[in-house]
Amino acid sequence: MSVLASFDWSYIWERREVLAEGLKVTFELAAIGIAGAFVVGLLLGAARAYRIPVISQLAGIYVELIRNTPILVQIFLIAYGLPKATKSLQFEFFTVACVALVLWGGAFNTENFRAGFEAVPKRYNEAALALGFGRIRTFLNISLPIGGRIALPSSINTYISVFKNTALMTAISVEELTNVAKQSIDLDFRTWEMIAVLAVTYLTLVWTLSALIRLIERRLALPEER
Amino acid sequence: MFNWLPEWAQPVAEYVLHTGLRNTLIIAGVSVLLSISVGVVFGTLLTIRFLPVQAAIRLYIEVWRGLPIIVTIFLLFFALPTLADELHFSALNLDTMRASILGLSLWGSAQIAEATRGAVQSIPKEQHEASAALGFGWVGRHTNVILPQALRRLIPPLVGLSVGVIQNSTLASIIGVPEVLEAAQRSTNRLAVPTVDPTTLSIEGGDSHALEIYLGVFFLFFVISFPLTRLAAYLERRLAQ
Repeated sequence: MSVLASFDWSYIWERREVLAEGLKVTFELAAIGIAGAFVVGLLLGAARAYRIPVISQLAGIYVELIRNTPILVQIFLIAYGLPKATKSLQFEFFTVACVALVLWGGAFNTENFRAGFEAVPKRYNEAALALGFGRIRTFLNISLPIGGRIALPSSINTYISVFKNTALMTAISVEELTNVAKQSIDLDFRTWEMIAVLAVTYLTLVWTLSALIRLIERRLALPEER
Repeated sequence: MFNWLPEWAQPVAEYVLHTGLRNTLIIAGVSVLLSISVGVVFGTLLTIRFLPVQAAIRLYIEVWRGLPIIVTIFLLFFALPTLADELHFSALNLDTMRASILGLSLWGSAQIAEATRGAVQSIPKEQHEASAALGFGWVGRHTNVILPQALRRLIPPLVGLSVGVIQNSTLASIIGVPEVLEAAQRSTNRLAVPTVDPTTLSIEGGDSHALEIYLGVFFLFFVISFPLTRLAAYLERRLAQ
């Protein structure tokens, strides 16, 4: 097949700097999105699990709104809609992308952490209270390490999705990997070369992270479950 | 029908709901059907202990589940047609609608295959043995005994998948299918261009109304998805009892 025969490895090499630049932006977006999703999920997940008044209900509404709408619509709403409400909400698109990823990942992670904290057996908390631990120390020393571990596999799945969602920022022309590859295609029509770069890069990273989940699941399994 | 809306919003609502929502529902509907038919077959075949088949289906699942869907759609829409001329196989020249549907179906069928494998394996071994004892072959055993039981466990993930497919159908806007989001975006672009009134020569419009339009789209998707996610959660709870 001549498409395979004409597959031009040197073209990928030629574009290496542009692609590396795009990959860097993808990594930045993913790192900010994942870190933000972790913080939001941890705080709101705890608020949900311990039914802290007002915050818990607001977090519940936030989770349902984000989980039941497409992330692309959220991105467009933040990028083009909010600046129309007030000029102070006008951000550059890289910032918009980060905000969208954190909001999206945070909502899913809130559910992950809530489920994790709620799965901690009550008797552990009662034991800690009986030992004279305060509520906050009980959370930090009992619920967080145990519930956090229970929530880890599902939250890593959310981080993988956050990473994959960085590709959507092509729609608001953030120069991440998918976008720079697409621009190369528009320029030089070396379509298969660029699609191959995208496929190999994303699959390598996603598969590595999935393998990591399985490893962590085994390593961090609670002693009773081993 | 949209008379109660302000004047600028009437053609927008008309376009987004009539053209946009129609395309969104076509994309989502066809993708869900394709995902289920391919996914259930692949998921069932995955339970056979025959390495080449298992490896092939595993690869299919991990590739289409691992790639961001937009990359899959780019592959189908930009790369695949270059093979059409060469192989004299013009069916590879997918239009935007077909490329989106196929991209979503590859992703959806991978999800369903994985869920089906789990559901089929959750059926006790005795069911296989009993139906084999009744003289059913592999196909008869699965279509008559195993899958009808597994299907019950598959319903919650199927509803969940429908929500995922409806939401991800917005990706079709990136290659230009006029579904809900693309219709909304075109409307904001149209409204953003000021028009000159030919009689008074005064300039009118020029406001994209992006906030109202995208908020409308946001709640449109919410109204569709929320009942479905509630339904999936309810079915899952009922199944757990």
